Amino acid sequence: MRRIAIFLFLAALPLRAAPATFATRVAPALEKHCAVCHGAEKQKAKLRLDSYAAIVAGADSGPVLKAGDPKESELHRRITLPPHDDDFMPSDGKPPLSALDVKVIERWIAAGAPESAEFDAPAAPVVRVAEPAAPDYLPRLDQARKLATTLGVRLVPRSRVTTDGLVLRTASAPRQCDDALLAKLAPVADLIVEAELSRTRVTDAGLRAVATWSNLQRLDLARTGVTSAGVAALAPLAKLESINLTGTKVDERGVSALKANPRLTRIWTFGTPVASSP
Amino acid sequence: MLDLPQVPAALKREWLELETRRHFLGRGSKALGWAGLATILGRSAPHLLASTAALPDQRPHFAPKAKRCIYLFMAGAPSQFETWDYKPKLAAMFDKDLPESVRGGQVLTGMTASQARLPVAPSFYKFAQMGKAGHWVSELFPHTGKVADDLCVIKSLHTEAINHEPAILSMTTGNMFPGKPSLGAWLAYGLGAINEELPTFVVMTSKMPVRTNVQALSNRLWSSGFLPPEYAAVSLRAGNEPVLYLQDPKGVNRDVRRAMIDGVNDLNRQLFERVGDPEINTRIAQYEMAFRMQTSVPDLTDFSDEPASTWELYGEKAKEPGTYAYNCLMARRLAERGVRFTQVFLRTWDQHTVLPERIKVMAGESDQPTAGLLTDLKRRGMLDDTLVIWGGEFGRTVYSQGTLRPDNYGRDHHPRCFSMWMAGAGTKPGISYGETDDFSYNIVKDPVHIRDFHATVLHQFGIDHNRLSVKFQGLDAKLTGVLPSRVIPELLA
Ligand code: HEC
Repeated sequence: MRRIAIFLFLAALPLRAAPATFATRVAPALEKHCAVCHGAEKQKAKLRLDSYAAIVAGADSGPVLKAGDPKESELHRRITLPPHDDDFMPSDGKPPLSALDVKVIERWIAAGAPESAEFDAPAAPVVRVAEPAAPDYLPRLDQARKLATTLGVRLVPRSRVTTDGLVLRTASAPRQCDDALLAKLAPVADLIVEAELSRTRVTDAGLRAVATWSNLQRLDLARTGVTSAGVAALAPLAKLESINLTGTKVDERGVSALKANPRLTRIWTFGTPVASSP
Repeated sequence: MLDLPQVPAALKREWLELETRRHFLGRGSKALGWAGLATILGRSAPHLLASTAALPDQRPHFAPKAKRCIYLFMAGAPSQFETWDYKPKLAAMFDKDLPESVRGGQVLTGMTASQARLPVAPSFYKFAQMGKAGHWVSELFPHTGKVADDLCVIKSLHTEAINHEPAILSMTTGNMFPGKPSLGAWLAYGLGAINEELPTFVVMTSKMPVRTNVQALSNRLWSSGFLPPEYAAVSLRAGNEPVLYLQDPKGVNRDVRRAMIDGVNDLNRQLFERVGDPEINTRIAQYEMAFRMQTSVPDLTDFSDEPASTWELYGEKAKEPGTYAYNCLMARRLAERGVRFTQVFLRTWDQHTVLPERIKVMAGESDQPTAGLLTDLKRRGMLDDTLVIWGGEFGRTVYSQGTLRPDNYGRDHHPRCFSMWMAGAGTKPGISYGETDDFSYNIVKDPVHIRDFHATVLHQFGIDHNRLSVKFQGLDAKLTGVLPSRVIPELLA
């Protein structure tokens, strides 16, 4: 086996301090994790945590906050106990606050538990919206399924996220899938993110069709008749991440040609002429 | 069991199990007594109570990392002390009494409860750090040690069950009472087949290397429970005929067979139209599957296309049908062809006595083929989306059961902690998760309940364990049950 590793350096985001307020950072966390028992419907320990005034008012047994001193604040103590402690909040195995939420609450109390003034807190992580893998399949799913059925293969959604693309499946009858069949998938080419073509009758000619599947990420060609010449045609596949060439005739030339694919990090060449060189 | 005259008990039971509301309604009021009976017996066809909803939406909830799973089940419970939970401090404690503070009043099994002493038994086998990750690996696993950097070792599994049957059931079905769907059945139900010519869920039991302390394995462990029966595993037999009666008798060719199945299916369809019992469709599906397997299975079991390096990896024993080594190779061949879930059982890890000698035999049986399978999957590019799991059903005690000599001791059952490993399909390679105390008696860091383990496995298949459920007996029944459980993110790459 041989892997070509292209290291993608993803910038690790440092925990920047950023201005926060009770309303933007503290209230939402308490609302989400505590309000079911300490809110409008239930007031366990006669404590409500769904407004600033209520938190300051405290519980039956007294205040739960000591402004400026997290260590002396009952509210802080309850959320920093070991999760299995009887006093731990939220109780009853309800989903606990995240470590980040706990930190934010600690900083807020340390800053004097202000109602509207800003305080310094670790920034919320930037949620990176994943780039869609393919166009929405939903409007074309029926069309794709019908086409696949007529051809004797399957096109199945990779997940319920409708921009995750379709997987081309041939395992039920690999010998029915050949070059001509791949060409006929053109109407749904942009939806295919993964193609399982191992043991099919696909050859270099078929890879010319595959090269037009612009959103393809994973391609399994194990034990097919493809060669280096065919594989070189895959250069346009900018999103290709892995390719399995196990048991094919592809040699060094094919593997070097694949260096053109910017995202390709995993190439398997067991049982090929490449494999002999480690 | 109620007494019905003139019907043999076994038949009665079978009939009652097949009885459904549809049959009952179809027959009118005369059936009232029967339906009542079926309900009283409780064990009646679950469809009486379950929804008979059509095929579930088999799209994963989110993009999966795993397409298939090979679960190497070490039945009988391998001791963590000689395998994955290295406890160097025990060496100095040979034959000392287990401190009461460690045991914490835990109830012991009948096998050691009456022992006068609970003397500490250190591992007879040595450990060394292996791989870049520096996993501590027992000298019993030299081959697995070489692939240690691919392993995600969990040392803090725990379970409620202290005896084999309920514990194995907990591992395989998430519940210690029989009748629940197995993990493989849930996956088959939730995701469907990759290859429709082969079963989605396959089980293989391996020849036993030792003949003492044998655990029974039954199809309870791979049943579909209250899911439709077609999601249960097909169990492959050792030998020339992995599936019985698959070969056509002399004089029956493919066309004759086809015509026969068409005829039977026709009759079954007529019955279905009359009574609407989904069980009938299952029967039709099974005839079709058997017909397809007539062509898919011979290719599967013909190892002549294997390169010489296969035997170097798995060992020569892999040529002998039914051995664990053979089953490991078969598991790879099934995975290659798109079988979703393959569970290989290797029994007789239950060393209550003579542990050093017997565990060596077991490790010898398991080590090379397991490591060979991992290496093979990796070189073929399949470890990327094949989840491999190795482990048993609970741990074993630090104290010796019976005789204690440095080279001869036994270990009793211990549910409070045990070790397993996973590899591939987006699990984090080269890490060790969870810690036990110096006696590997209690977990001191990062416990992983079986439910959490199951939730994590489903997660790798793109399934949210809270959302894969079916209505059964008034519950949204799911693999992880109703108690809290969570995916363990630290185990994932
Ligand atoms: C499932 C219900 C439930 C949830 C959710 C819950 N609590 Fe509680 N909480 C209780 C109960 C019951 C008590 C009273 C028993 C006790 O003191 O432990 C209590 C008591 C408290 C007290 C002590 C009040 C006093 O008497 O001084 C504090 C502080 C507290 N909760 C904070 C929180 C915080 C913060 C959250 C969210 C992170 C939270 N709780 C979520 C049920 C809950």
